[in-house]
Amino acid sequence: MPALRNKNCNYISNKVISITFDGKSYSAYDGDTIASALLRNNIRLIGRSFKYHRPRGIYTCGIEEPNALVQILNEHNEPNTRATIKRVYEGININSQNRWPSLSFDIGSINNILSPIFSAGFYYKTFMGPKGFWKKIYEPLIRHTAGLGKPPKNFRSKSIHQNHNVDILIVGGGLSGLIAARKLINTDNEVLIVEQDSFLGGILKNSNKVKKIDGKSVFDWVKETEKLILESKNIKILKNTLVTTYNFTNHLIALEDKFAGKDIDTNKTELILHKIRTTQTILANGHIERFISFRNNDLPGVMLASSFEKYIERYGVVPDEKPVIFTNNSSAISLVKSLINLNCKPGAYIDSRKKKDIEDETKDYLSKNNIPFYPESEVEGCEGNKKVEKVYIRSSNKEISSINASMLCPSGGFNPDIHLFTQSKGLVKWDDKIISFKPDTAFQNTITLGSVSGNYEFKNLCNEINKKLSFLKVNDLNLDIETNIRDDFSISELWETKTNKMSKWAKSFIDLHNDVTTKDLKQAINEGYDRIEHLKRYTTNSMGTDQGKISSINSLGIVSKILNKKIAEVGTTTYRPPYAPLSFAAIAGRSTYEYYDPERKTPIHNWHIKNNAVFEDVGQWKRPWFFKKNESETMHQAVQRESKQTRQTAGIIDGSTLGKIEIKGKDALEFMNLMYTNAFTKMKPMTSRYALMLGEDGMIMDDGIVCKINDKHFIATTTSSGAPKVLSHMEEFLQTEWPHLKVFLNSITEQFTTFNISGPKAREIIRKVFTDIDFSNEKFPFMTFKTFDYKNTQARIMRASFTGELGYEIYISPKHALELWEQIFNYGKEFNLVPYGTETMHLLRAEKGYVVIGQETDGTVTPLDLNFNWMIGKKKKDFIGKRSLTRSDTAREDRKQLVGLVPIDKSFFIEEGQHIVECENLPNKIKTPIEYLGHISSSYHSPNLNHCISMALIKNGNKLKGKKLFVSTSRGTKNIPVKVVSPVFIDPENKRLVS
Amino acid sequence: MTKILSSDSVNILQKDFLQVLLRGNGRDQFNQIIAKEISIKPPSKNLEISSDDKYIFAKNSFDQWSLLYLVEQDYKKILKIVENLNMSDEILASDYSYGQAYFEISGNNKNEFLNKLTNFDLRSKKFPVSTMAQTLIARIDCSIYNLKDKYIITCNKSYEEYFKNRLIDINNLS
Amino acid sequence: MILIDCPYCGEREQSEFTNGGEAHVIRPKNPEALSDKEWGQYVFYRSNPKGIFYERWNHTHGCRKWFNAVRDTSTDTILKIYKLTDNRPDISEFQSSLKSPSGEPAVGSGNFAVKK
Repeated sequence: MPALRNKNCNYISNKVISITFDGKSYSAYDGDTIASALLRNNIRLIGRSFKYHRPRGIYTCGIEEPNALVQILNEHNEPNTRATIKRVYEGININSQNRWPSLSFDIGSINNILSPIFSAGFYYKTFMGPKGFWKKIYEPLIRHTAGLGKPPKNFRSKSIHQNHNVDILIVGGGLSGLIAARKLINTDNEVLIVEQDSFLGGILKNSNKVKKIDGKSVFDWVKETEKLILESKNIKILKNTLVTTYNFTNHLIALEDKFAGKDIDTNKTELILHKIRTTQTILANGHIERFISFRNNDLPGVMLASSFEKYIERYGVVPDEKPVIFTNNSSAISLVKSLINLNCKPGAYIDSRKKKDIEDETKDYLSKNNIPFYPESEVEGCEGNKKVEKVYIRSSNKEISSINASMLCPSGGFNPDIHLFTQSKGLVKWDDKIISFKPDTAFQNTITLGSVSGNYEFKNLCNEINKKLSFLKVNDLNLDIETNIRDDFSISELWETKTNKMSKWAKSFIDLHNDVTTKDLKQAINEGYDRIEHLKRYTTNSMGTDQGKISSINSLGIVSKILNKKIAEVGTTTYRPPYAPLSFAAIAGRSTYEYYDPERKTPIHNWHIKNNAVFEDVGQWKRPWFFKKNESETMHQAVQRESKQTRQTAGIIDGSTLGKIEIKGKDALEFMNLMYTNAFTKMKPMTSRYALMLGEDGMIMDDGIVCKINDKHFIATTTSSGAPKVLSHMEEFLQTEWPHLKVFLNSITEQFTTFNISGPKAREIIRKVFTDIDFSNEKFPFMTFKTFDYKNTQARIMRASFTGELGYEIYISPKHALELWEQIFNYGKEFNLVPYGTETMHLLRAEKGYVVIGQETDGTVTPLDLNFNWMIGKKKKDFIGKRSLTRSDTAREDRKQLVGLVPIDKSFFIEEGQHIVECENLPNKIKTPIEYLGHISSSYHSPNLNHCISMALIKNGNKLKGKKLFVSTSRGTKNIPVKVVSPVFIDPENKRLVS
Repeated sequence: MTKILSSDSVNILQKDFLQVLLRGNGRDQFNQIIAKEISIKPPSKNLEISSDDKYIFAKNSFDQWSLLYLVEQDYKKILKIVENLNMSDEILASDYSYGQAYFEISGNNKNEFLNKLTNFDLRSKKFPVSTMAQTLIARIDCSIYNLKDKYIITCNKSYEEYFKNRLIDINNLS
Repeated sequence: MILIDCPYCGEREQSEFTNGGEAHVIRPKNPEALSDKEWGQYVFYRSNPKGIFYERWNHTHGCRKWFNAVRDTSTDTILKIYKLTDNRPDISEFQSSLKSPSGEPAVGSGNFAVKK
């Protein structure tokens, strides 16, 4: 039989839909959450607990839920979904979690009987030995039985981010938030209201505490307010959106569910992560009811009193017609009134407060309606088979009696929801009147309104809001708020009731989500974990996905009693973002898959694709790695072919990704002399130089070619990924150290497409392309450049090479880049001109002994280590890093230095990154460290020499030429014997280069 | 001109403009040299734009200006201007044409749309008409110019395809 | 994500900026005249206070300009932003804000959320 329906509820439609839970089909109403739908069908057992596999039900009616976590099968298996939040739709398929083989019969519940070993700190204590047991036995066992749902296999949808810049953000569209918003209507402030529910109203819709506002029913008042807000020119509302994070400088993060109560359309955005930057934040995010610990306070059927009321008022379902109510405060009477309104009657009303402290109105109302009333009493515990069946009451005379009941509703008081306030670095203060922490000093532009500020009284509310918002110079708003209960809040301290009956099964829980009992707290303190932050981590108390929302203050209460301290002295643990679990898909937004990182493409990119290039990521650039001649060609074959062809005739590479910086001004020469190691003063105009840039520590930072147009105008190239760094480095010194230098810099990386053609036939090809230019060695020698007009655009050709062959580097406007590239191929056809990629480039330069920044260098390599003494302008008074080159450490002769290595047996291949040692074999078990001389920085199979060539940085390498050493391998303990040689393997006399 | 997308509230076109980037100190001599070559005056206030139907002349920062030609021009002429300007040591002029991609965004919803890609505060009180900004949009460096009823956004040409795809993607998802 | 007020572009999010370490570390005029120790002091040594810190920022993804800021490292509050050409503000300007709102100790970390 379905549960009783509250027909007066305005928030649930009459449309019946069908849902599936654990394979069985049920009916629900459109607008239900999973929890309200299940309660409607009288289902109370929903899952098994984390550690002990105890049966658990629905404990709350909101974000604070510690128990009712389910898996949504039809949404990519989404686990740990809060049943109390997730709205149902036609066809939703839900499974319970953490049970095997079934929810009602779960083998893991044996853990409950073994519970003595699962007590506080059990991970640290129980699984200490014997050796090897952790990995093979304990960990797999724990992983199998403990835990929550199963992880999903994929992102369920595409999420996007939405940024907002507003003047005022109101967190929470409840009574306080709406009053604040009404005051701001049509003012100059841009306002955003964020509400986690799909309806505004907060306590007005979740309870029957407020009867009328300004003579209107609360439903009508909220409707009217919402209409006024929507018609205003300055206020926006986001519903189904939860603020999870409050960062520095008033930056807040909120998550919106666009498909709340609807089946997801995977082509649209399901989740939107709102990033809100505001000038002023108004927190009106309310309060959370807390529980009370007693024996078996986790049994299905125990549900917080205000949550029970919310199911009646907000979802129109009465979970039980005669629940037992157990309270330590004045608020629970509104639940009684909600029930009486529907002709239901609580089984008992147990109030722990002193008789004289209990309101006369409450006493009268209970007696008038004939409700069994237990003042100065408490619930000792409850019992039943997978559900509440009997409630044990300790009366004022300490006698224990029992009554039959199927639901039990504790109310342990209310905590202002200070999570966001403390995230913002605000300070909280203990308030003895409400027995909780409340906001005290804000750190940012933060205002708290209503119950989050610790004000639980409706008649004060407008006053409070008018006062706190007066600085905004907005009109006062005074509402006549008529309540159903007495407005002044009264509470007596009660965290835990004493347990009379002891059994293996019985437990009094402090954290339902992580299965922490009140006994665990005591044990942890006995073991010395008496600081609250330590205690939390040792017991895992309030470390679940619910972050102990209904229980963390209770644990402070219990701890303070044991330590005999005030709660304020015990302190709280730190509240950290997020407020509630946040989907990874939402955080990632569109920065996934194809948009993981922005991609840069050269003007020749499409040609590369057509010619079967395989791409490599260089920074954000997509560069051809190698070109596949046919489907079956492997990378090794392609690279060997490209390398060989380039040295035989000619090859061309797209070098557009090289960074290019234009440097101009009266003091350009002085500036360049300071930035680079090289001496540029005597360099002739229209010549170029290979140049090195150091950090102030003397280590190589970047390299490139510097072209000197004249003393006042230079163009420098940088490595492809180093371009932004180099420009910023140059700007830094111009702006900070040498502002007196008149120099201007522009990045012109994208303004020139760059090709490098090299090989013995390069000249013959390029002559055919540019017929007006004299390419003879005499007129166009190595390391010079010419500028000329190409189809009305300025172009530049430089004689330079990174392969060791005769080479030309062409800089051309991107406007004509592709046509020129294709033209070069037309002319190059007869010479078998080959396009090559970065891998061949690396191989060819290694044959010639040229270094690559980031491969031969790693931030610990000086120019001297690479034998670049010739590149250092020693006569220059100063340049960045110069002084560091003579520091005792950098001037040492036995530093690691660049050498070449070849295997003595030419059939061996040396791997990059391997270590160089002096011993032939590594011992099977390494007992004492083996002296390591250096590492392999580059290694290739040279098609032109037909054996492996390697570059390495070896301690004292300069003095080791000709020596035999060994290189480790990834395949075993036998090392490869190698000979130390010069790193220049091809054309050491530079004959090809200058030919 | 290519249409990238158009909906009730956002329209995006890709355009081909010519552009010159200038560096200098902004003092008298600088202004005089520019006056000889270019008919409109470079703005003196940071982030300000002088514009009409044909030009945008914007001050990107204290020593940097961008000149965009909104109507078709003889490219040769622009290159000549760059060459002439560079005769002086007081100025570094670099031709930026063909190295940048240009997008024109209009429509009532353009702010909300762009705020899916950038956290930049586009509200008119923070980003008034006839000003420009350099900022991150879709995680890449862009310049954005506020021309009353539309924005012009420029980014490096190498990002053109990525940026276009991001615009279309966001439009499809929302 | 803090907000930084670039002196040339206005308020922007931290993601547009790069931190450049301690400010007012002046490159020695005559490096060759310095001992290894003195030079090492310039290259490698920086102060790392809890509290008031003078540092440099670069608006990398905006105008690419460098500027200085005074930041309280214990709360991440930027107390002042000034151009490289401006004088270094005196520390006495900021003394009152040395403590975070929770009154943390002068050294060490700690999270103090409760008013004592």
